[in-house]
Amino acid sequence: MDLKFLVVDDSITMRRIVINSLRNLGYNNFVEAGEGREALEKLSTEAGINFIVTDWNMPEVSGLELVKAVRSDEKFSSIPILMVTTRGVKEDIVVALQAKVNNYIVKPFTPQILKEKIDQILQVS
Amino acid sequence: MKQISNMSDLFNRLNDLKFAFKYGQELIPMIQSIIDFVKETVPLLEDINSSIADSTNKIPRVRDQINNISDSTELATTEILDIVDSISNDISNVEEKIKASKESESERQKHWNEIKEILNKSGHTQLIDSYESSDQNSILSSEILNTLGGIKQKVYNITLSLQVQDITSQQLASVNHLIEAVRAKLSSLILLLDDKEISNVESANSEVCESTTFDPNASYSKSPERQELVDDLVKNNLDKTSQEEIDKLFS
Repeated sequence: MDLKFLVVDDSITMRRIVINSLRNLGYNNFVEAGEGREALEKLSTEAGINFIVTDWNMPEVSGLELVKAVRSDEKFSSIPILMVTTRGVKEDIVVALQAKVNNYIVKPFTPQILKEKIDQILQVS
Repeated sequence: MKQISNMSDLFNRLNDLKFAFKYGQELIPMIQSIIDFVKETVPLLEDINSSIADSTNKIPRVRDQINNISDSTELATTEILDIVDSISNDISNVEEKIKASKESESERQKHWNEIKEILNKSGHTQLIDSYESSDQNSILSSEILNTLGGIKQKVYNITLSLQVQDITSQQLASVNHLIEAVRAKLSSLILLLDDKEISNVESANSEVCESTTFDPNASYSKSPERQELVDDLVKNNLDKTSQEEIDKLFS
């Protein structure tokens, strides 16, 4: 499957690390956003985004708000969302799952975990 | 009789007055020491007040310094990532060249086989052995490729370790938030002690709340436990969702 990733993180460093890791897994198509509002704009303006990797803690519109906005929009609701965040507390994970993220990774992540989660999401969907 | 009673009243009043004076005389040193104590305390309180005001005024500078640290580390991390990317690209270029060289090597090998046949026929076996023992190109190329692969992986591991920058910047933002809370408390304390208000407290607070987002529990831990907890919860959620879908189908 040819994936076009939307990588959302307010940290430039993290965006580069995620994109480098995805590139190492063989993916080459990326769009970047620094927070949720920009991500929603990119979703509307950039055609063909079919996978979202997002952080949680971001200014303006957070990752969780982004997930809710995507899930409530008919056009984008089926796009798989992988959350990559420092939030490893049970309550947070439950909240994210209730908001319907497809999978969840706690930072710092390893490339193996990233691959595993993307593969799991693609198998289910 | 009435005159005697009046005199007796007068003496009683005089006695009361005498006791009052007597107690008054005893109280005066106590009151004096209270006054002295208050006099001594006032400069102390003023000192405390000015110390609190001084500390409170320093907090924005501390906050700015913490923000500077965050910005500087992000800048430094970006520079490291640039260098790491450049090294990775160089390694990839060298790998491609070695692979190309290995491909041309197989062409060379074909030619060598033809020459070898001619040399064999003419009985120059020693020459063949000598040439083949000195020709290590193919082995070397494979070894270099393996080494480069290892270096590439190590370079990539540097990239992964730089996740620490994002995590520490969240930790610093959390510290900043705490410092700002302390500043607000100190400022309200100053308002109680003195009528002076520390400037820009309100604006500083709102600035922190609006522009910083962080996880107060962020930590750079490579322990798998946190991800395992996530995986369990995700699995339970998936199982629950599947069961709900099955229930829906049969209801």
